[in-house]
Amino acid sequence: MNIHVFEGFQTVMLEVSLALLPLLVFFAAFQIFMLKLPMQRVLQVGQGFILTFFGLSFFLQGVHVGFMPVGTMMGETMGSWDNKWLLIPIGFIIGFAATFAEPAVSIMTEEVDQETGGYISRKMMLYTLSTGVGVSISLSMLRILTDWSLWYFILPGYLLAFILIFFSTQTFIGIAFDSGGVATGPMTVTFVVAVAVGISTAIEGSDPLTDGFGMIALVALTPIIAVLILGLIFTKKGGGKTNDS
Amino acid sequence: MENVRDTFKEVAAAILPVTLVVIILQVVFIRMPFEAVIQFLIGVLFVSIGFFLFLIGVNAGLLPIGEMIGRRLPSTKSAGFIIATGFLLGIAVTVAEPDVRVLAKQIEEVSEGTVSAAILILSVSLGLAIFVALAMIRTIFRIPLHYLLIGGYALVFLLSFFVPEAFISISFDSGGVTTGPMAVPFILALGIGVASVLRSEDDSSGEKFGLIGLASIGPILAVMVLGVLFK
Repeated sequence: MNIHVFEGFQTVMLEVSLALLPLLVFFAAFQIFMLKLPMQRVLQVGQGFILTFFGLSFFLQGVHVGFMPVGTMMGETMGSWDNKWLLIPIGFIIGFAATFAEPAVSIMTEEVDQETGGYISRKMMLYTLSTGVGVSISLSMLRILTDWSLWYFILPGYLLAFILIFFSTQTFIGIAFDSGGVATGPMTVTFVVAVAVGISTAIEGSDPLTDGFGMIALVALTPIIAVLILGLIFTKKGGGKTNDS
Repeated sequence: MENVRDTFKEVAAAILPVTLVVIILQVVFIRMPFEAVIQFLIGVLFVSIGFFLFLIGVNAGLLPIGEMIGRRLPSTKSAGFIIATGFLLGIAVTVAEPDVRVLAKQIEEVSEGTVSAAILILSVSLGLAIFVALAMIRTIFRIPLHYLLIGGYALVFLLSFFVPEAFISISFDSGGVTTGPMAVPFILALGIGVASVLRSEDDSSGEKFGLIGLASIGPILAVMVLGVLFK
């Protein structure tokens, strides 16, 4: 294996230019017809675009040369282990670690803390969520090992969420469903999914397209259920402040 | 510069824990060749630098404009225009969402080119855009959130009977990745802007929530429709 650093970087930059073009056109149209901001302000936005452009380019380059190939390779090694059940606790640790420090998660736990007047504290929410995501990734590993359909997990999950909705307030429903994306931080999609695809490739009888993917779906379901349940506990314990449903 | 330091911490917190777990796994169990470890660390470095620049660029440069547009929109007094703006912004931000691009690339590779990244990104952004437009309609006409959520997911489960198994996992995954660091702040800025001007303060508390949840149903449906078309 040779070391790749900037291989294919031009293609990535071209891709990123195309990716940012719609937003640029959108802003330009609003600037001309509606906002009419002074030149100095427009230059600031231009700087923002340049930073975003280089940011996205480096990010995607890092994923292409680093996370995707190494993640897949690591997964393939793990998938050929004799003791494959080790994957389940390892999945838990990865999920827990990815969520515990994730900035988007801490914004959400803060929100819940405020909404419940501290009754559901940041810490409690954080541990619940990190454990939940850990379990989700463990279940994804189990799915790869057993070839079980994603439906067995998704369907009961969403059913539970929709039953909980009827006992919840509008605010908690909103926070819960908004939180679906918070636990899927930059490492989950770029690296952990690549590992899962690698594992699934190495295991006979496992289809990477159906089994390797589906992890993000499970990770996204965890915060929804966690917030709804904690919200329910809060409302039942007499937290009537947000009883607006 | 407070902003820069916070962003730096944010990036470190998002990337270091998993990096650490991977390094421990490598030492204890996996023992990949040394080159692979170097390649991984190059990935960590590039993704960190990239994510840092990206967050600074979006938060300091682009997002204020999104907020400005959100506040100015209601003064146009045209529901059609507000909804159309939500739709177009939905497309523009999804196309630029890093996680969407990465997932699309992975799906393209695993499906050996059957599902191309470009088509996938296009469907996901259309799906998101339609649901952001729906969210705008909800805000303007005061439709309770859970009606749309239940309706949306009912549609998802109904459609799933016609979707090939291979598309199920990737469609739900698409719903999860769309709500990333680009789409979320923009949709929130637009939605809160519109809601705060259209409504009085009395019922604004519950209003800022639910937009993202609603928006993430769109991509699931869109990729499912793509799956039906592929069959």
